[in-house]
Formats: sequence, structure tokens, C-alpha cells
Amino acid sequence: MKKYLTSDSLFYIILITIFLIVLPLGNILGFVSNNTISLWGRYFCFAIAALGIDLIWGYTGVLSMCQAFFFCLGGYSIAMHMLLSASGKGVYSAAIPDFMVWNQVDTLPFFWEPFHSFGLSLLLALALPATFAFLFGFFVFRSRIKGVYFAIITQALALAVWLIFLRNETMLGGTNGLTDFKSLLGFELSSPGTKLGLYLIAFLTLCGTFLFCRWLVNSKFGKVLVGILDSESRLSFTAYNVVNYKVAVFVIAAILAAIGGVLYAPQTGIITPGRMDVKASVEMVMWVALGGRGRLKGAIIGALLVNYLYSVCTSLFPESWLYILGILFILTVLFFEKGFWGLIEMLEAKLTGWSSAKGSESLKANI
Amino acid sequence: MKYIFYFLLVFAWPLSLLADRAVNNTQMQVNTVISGSDSLKTIAINNLIISEKTEVYPLLSAINDKKLFMHNNILVTLGEKKTSDEGPEKFKILQVYPEFKELFSADGNTLLLPLSELKEIEFSRSTRLLLAPIIPYLNLLSPEVEKRKLAYSQFQGLKDKAILPKLYSALAQEKNKEIQRLGKETIFSIQLNSAPEATHKMWIDSLALNWGPNTQSILEQYASSQTNGDLRAMAVLKAEELQSKHERLRMFQNLFSGLSLGSILIMIALGLSIVYGLAGVINMAHGEFLMIGAYTTYCIQSIMSPASDLFFWISLPLSFIVAGFWGFVIERLIIRHLYSRPLESMLATWGVGLVLVQIARSLFGDLTAVRTPAVLSGGWEVVQHLVLPYNRLFIIFLSTFMITVTYLVLYRSRLGLQIRAVTQNRRMSSCLGIETNKLDAMTFFLGSGLAGLAGAAMTLIGNVVPDMGQTYIVDSFLVVVTGGVGNIAGSIVSGFGIGFLFKILESFFQAVYGKVLILTLIILFLQYKPKGLFPDKGRIGED
Repeated sequence: MKKYLTSDSLFYIILITIFLIVLPLGNILGFVSNNTISLWGRYFCFAIAALGIDLIWGYTGVLSMCQAFFFCLGGYSIAMHMLLSASGKGVYSAAIPDFMVWNQVDTLPFFWEPFHSFGLSLLLALALPATFAFLFGFFVFRSRIKGVYFAIITQALALAVWLIFLRNETMLGGTNGLTDFKSLLGFELSSPGTKLGLYLIAFLTLCGTFLFCRWLVNSKFGKVLVGILDSESRLSFTAYNVVNYKVAVFVIAAILAAIGGVLYAPQTGIITPGRMDVKASVEMVMWVALGGRGRLKGAIIGALLVNYLYSVCTSLFPESWLYILGILFILTVLFFEKGFWGLIEMLEAKLTGWSSAKGSESLKANI
Repeated sequence: MKYIFYFLLVFAWPLSLLADRAVNNTQMQVNTVISGSDSLKTIAINNLIISEKTEVYPLLSAINDKKLFMHNNILVTLGEKKTSDEGPEKFKILQVYPEFKELFSADGNTLLLPLSELKEIEFSRSTRLLLAPIIPYLNLLSPEVEKRKLAYSQFQGLKDKAILPKLYSALAQEKNKEIQRLGKETIFSIQLNSAPEATHKMWIDSLALNWGPNTQSILEQYASSQTNGDLRAMAVLKAEELQSKHERLRMFQNLFSGLSLGSILIMIALGLSIVYGLAGVINMAHGEFLMIGAYTTYCIQSIMSPASDLFFWISLPLSFIVAGFWGFVIERLIIRHLYSRPLESMLATWGVGLVLVQIARSLFGDLTAVRTPAVLSGGWEVVQHLVLPYNRLFIIFLSTFMITVTYLVLYRSRLGLQIRAVTQNRRMSSCLGIETNKLDAMTFFLGSGLAGLAGAAMTLIGNVVPDMGQTYIVDSFLVVVTGGVGNIAGSIVSGFGIGFLFKILESFFQAVYGKVLILTLIILFLQYKPKGLFPDKGRIGED
């Protein structure tokens, strides 16, 4: 009994039962509100992005502070598609999105054109962040910018792109962002069925990306990543081209963030530059730190937990959320370096230590 | 100036001859205005208006503004308001007739009186309405700067020579340099548009020489309506010359703004850089010490009496101490557990920052402002159209002073020697008897204090808001990175570099694109020098 029911398998069983069976069934039977469903659907998107951050920061030790930007690139791409597919149905029944009418623009800017087609939008949603991450990562890693330098540079990048997206003349909606989506691929976004469907898609994508990441970190590639975390210079002395690995993991993390963004926009109904400022990126990193860096489960738990806590706290005592978040940041970094998951493992180790002298097997499961 | 003189001679001299004969008459009318019955007053005021004697305009202007008073049998009006610590508001006192001038008390100081010591001479509304047609002329002599400015600007569009004498006599009494220039511009532009064509060259020259605020548009308008090719070409040429002069001066102004931005960035970056070099900690809450310094200034302003400017000078050292103290406490409680873990320290100190910002928000609300001390308002006019504001000059001075002090502390004192030793090799320094714990706390105090002082200086040029630190923190991080983390000289050079570059690019593009461009440039720069401007060499340069 003890052998099979480790915290590891318990984690999967609980997670899948709750999110794949209890919540959707409850929603169909009317116990769980549509709001709750799309709330959790959004949290899954954050969790997908958190997986990417865990890969690059938890496993490789490179602290990227612009993941929210990649998240938003995905979100904006799909949002542009949704706006275009709804064109003509807006308040002004113009062939262009409403916010352009307010800005006295009468023709669609050229870079909006590809987003008429869903397939192309989806491709661009992933290809744009991937290309950007590749170019940026290549130049930055090539010149051996690392550690704090990399964190600061990515932070400045996040600030710069945030400023650009805030402008009206970049034709991306400015401060208000993109909103008022009607439908996606013909499904009405406001109907409960679509919401449940998007929720399920988000959850399954989360499972899929989790399996992919688990395969990745167990492969040789993953071992090299951990090698970079432990000692980058030693690894490069043994003839590994560290730059390529770093660029690759940066691109993968960007794509994961973009996938999260693509699923996020239709469920929320709005995407604004506020999602991509420096604060947003640092918070994303904190999800991973709180959940437990270097553990894929930790990233997921962290993203779900912090966001759930956020919606609970902001409705109960809105003033104090920043205090709670700030203190959580400090406590985690100071006392729980392995995060929430590390705490559970510690407790488990103590429990098994009490019940059987040699029962430390579960410690080996580290993923 | 010399043209003014010339024309004063031509127009004003004959007038003064006539005036001699009329003076008694005028005096009589004035006496009637002061003490006659209501109907006589009306007649007397009408006579004064018709006589077009400019020397009575200050008097009429005071009547129009309901500010005519009697003081020791002298007709006076109110000048600038002076607030003092206690007692009622006092005003400067200006005599209005027979001569418009400031009055002095017996001991030679400016005469300051409260309203209660003056006896107002009242006029009915209908009497004051008589003045309506000549209000623009009256405003030329108003004690208020803004009214005079407006009055002169209103005359600029006219082509009527008849008003020139009034402008000349008003201008002769003008003491404000800026308005003198505006007034001359008005006169020259009226002359240019009404005098015979033969003299136009002279007027264009005078306009260009005087170079008032609207000269360019006056010349351009003139050129567009002028049929004579030579004159048109000359006006266009002069306008272009002024334009290019103006652009050169604006460039200089930008450089100056860059200097002041850079010196603020350096003050912030120095603390960041020293702390990182010493302890391997990136302090994301560093901007919040700036905020603490600014709020210290704000608190002292609210505690002290509102009239005195002393609060600012007191708050300069206090903001250093208060911000330094917070830095010290946070170092002892949190940051000392994070030494040599730069990435983790970024996250924990970000949390500290969130808490501090939220504390400030719940204590002070969202927007507060600090008054600029009178000494630091206004600016130094180096040449025409180039004014360097005193508050920015002060900021540059303050940060130059602090940078020098920091340099002396680091390179000429025992404390600095120890800081540099620990930066190079913590364990070895500890073995040699340096108390690294104490030193860390002290360095943190200094670094945070510098940011706090920068915050106090920032109140001169912006509002005090809870998240003001975050506006500058990413920029100052860039300064640190470009200069080389932990490198003082590098921080100074890159601080000025980024400050200049930002202001110059800002003048070509919009601020946002300037920022993006700077980021791109920094990334390109780091391709060559990944460890910043002046990297450490040898073994300590390695990881």
C-alpha cells in the first residue's frame, strides 16, 4: 500500500480527479458556476507558462524576466484573429476592429492581414515568440551575458515592449488592449459549452505540455540543462556548446508561455499590456519559486495556488493582497528554498522516517 | 535697445513739452477722481481717458482692478504678495501717481503692509465700466506679469501706428526682461507692418536682434504677404537663422536635461553597484529607498510651518538617514541571508519592494507633492532662450557632491579600504580581521541613504507617488550593467552616457522609441564588453 501511494502518484490522482472529473461534472450538473470553470481554465494557462519558466530557471538556472511578454505575444495573436473574424459585427459595422475606428484609422494595418486565418494565427502565435526568443537569446547568450546581467536585460526588454504595446500608434489597442471577442472558429465565446470546452482543452494541453517537459528533463538534453545549472564552465570544457542549449531552452520556454497565452485570451475575453509588464513577469517567476523550482509539479502547483490565493484574497481583503504576496516572496526565498513541493517532500520524509526506518525511497522521485 | 532710445526721443520728447502745460490740469482731474462726488468722478475719469496721458494709466488700472488705496496721502496699489510665518498676508506697495514706482519704508527696505493698514478708495461699477475701452492699454501697466504679457501679445496682430506712443511709454517703465523683449517685439512688428517699405529692412533686423517669443512667426507671416522679393528673401533668411539658432540651443537644453537625469541615475546606481560588488545581492527594492527619501521630505514639509523653505534643507540629511536606516533594518532582517545568491535576492527584494510600496500607499494615498523652495524656482538665463532651471542645477550639484564624497569614502578612507577588500575576497578579509557583518550593514546604510537623498532631490522635479522608485529602477539597473556591476567609475560614465543618450534620442523620436533604441544599443554594446565598461582583470574577473 505504502509503496504505491507515494505523494507523487497521489498528486496526479487528486489533480486529475478534481479538474477532469469533479469540476466539469459539477458544471454540467449546475453545482459549479461557469465563472469558476473559466477561472480555473485561466489558471491552467498560467501553469503552462510556469512549466516553461521552470525549464529555463528551475533546471537551467537562467532567470528570464520577460516570460510574460511571450505569454502576451501568444494572447495578442489569437486575440487579433478573434477580432478580425468578428469584424463587421462591431458597433460601427466596419471591416476593422472598433478601436481602430476610434483612432481614426480606416484601413487594416498590413501586419494584421495574416491573422484572418485561424491556422496562420495559431502558427504565428507560436512562431513569433519563438523567433524573437531565438534572435534575442542567440545574441545575448553568445556574448556570455548570464546570471544577473541576463535577468536585468530581460527585465529592460519587458519594460521596453510594454511601453511599445501601450502606444496607440502601434495599432495594438494601446492601454485598453484587445477585447470584445465574439467567437472562435464559430463557437460563441459566451456560451457555457464553449467555456467548458476551452477549460478542458486548457487542462489537456497542460497535461500534454507536462508530459513533454517530463520527457525533456529526463532526456539527455535535460541532463545537460541541469549541468548548466551546476557548473556552466565545466560543461563547456567537456565540449558541450552551452550557448545552443541555452538558446534552445529559452525558445522552448517562450513557446510554452505563448501556448498559455493563446489559451488565455479567449477564456478571459481581454488582453492588455498590463499582462506583460515587468511586474507580471516577476510574478510568473514567483509562482515557480513558491511551488518549488526544479520540479515540474512544483511549477504547476505554484501557478494554481498563487492565482487561487489571489482571487480569494482580492475578494476578501483587497487592500492586503500585495502585503501577502510580498511576504510570501520573502518567506519562500528565505526559508523554503524548495518551495511548496519541497515542504511536502520534507513532511513526507519525516512521516515515512517515523513509520519505517528504511522508507526513504520516495525521496528519489524528484520530478 | 538703441532703437528704442531713438524712437523714445522722437515721440516722447514733444509729448513731454506738451505735458508741462497740462500737468496742472491732470493733477486737478486726479484730485477730483479721489475726492469728488460720484458724478464729478465720472467726468474726471472720462477727461483722463480722453487726454490719453499715460502717466495716469497706473492709477486707472488700479481703479479697474479695485486695488486703489490711500496710504500716508499717497495713492498706492498692491504689488506682489508676501506670506510670512505669522500675522496677516502682506503686500508690496506701489505708488500709482504722479509716478509709478515701488515704495520703501524709512529704513530703506521694501515697504510691506497688510490690507488692514490701507484705506481703499471705492468706485461704483458704472464708473469702472467707463474704463472698459482702454483696458488693454491699462493692462500694459498692470502690476501683474501675466496681464502685461497678455496685453503686449494682444497688440502684436495690429497694423495701427496710433497705439505706438502708448506702447513706448509703457515699455519705458517695464523692468521685467522677458516682457521688455516681448514689448519691443510688439513695437517692431507693428512698425514693420505699418511703416513705409524703405524702413522695413531696419525693422526686420531689429526683430531678429531682439528675438522675442513670436519673432519667427511674425517674420514668416510678413514674408508670405510681402510682394517685394528682396524683403521677402531677407525675412525668410532671418526666420531660418533664428530657427537654426533655436535648434542649437534646444540641443544644449537637452544635453543639460540629460546631465540632470544622468546624475539622478548615478546616485541610485552607485548604491546598487556597491552593494552588489560587496555582497552579491541585487536589490530590487532599491528604488523604494528613493521613495522613502521623497516621503521623508514630504513628511517634514507637512510637520513644519508651511511658509518656510527651511524644511527642504533639513530634509536633505534626514532623508539620507531615514532611507539608510530602513536599508540597515532590511539588510539585518532579510538581505544578509541572501549573500552571494544574486538571483534569489532579486526575488526576495522584489517582495520587500511590494510591501514597502503598499505601506506607502496606505499611509499617504496615491499622489502628494512637495513644494519647491523659492530659492530653487526659476532659472538661470545663460543666453537668450536658454534657461537652465535652478532645481536641475541643484540636482546636478548635489549628485556631483555625493559622488565625490562616495569616491573619497571608498578610496581615501579606512572604511572604503575595507569595503574594497571584502568586495575582492570576503573570506580572506574576514581572516585578516575585518568584521564583515558590520561592514555589510554599514555599506547598505550608505547605499540606501544615497538613494534616499536622490529621492529628496526628485521631489524638486516630480510628484511623490508610492511607486516612483520603479520608474527609475530598471534604468539604473541598465546603468549598473553597462558600467560593470560593482564598478564605481563605470557606473558614473554609463550613467551620464545613458542620461545624455536618452534625452537626445527623446528629442528625435518619442520617449518610448528612444528607450527601445537605448536597450538595443546596450545589448549591442554588451556584445563587445559583456562585463561592462571597465571589467575587472585577472583572477577576480573570473566567476
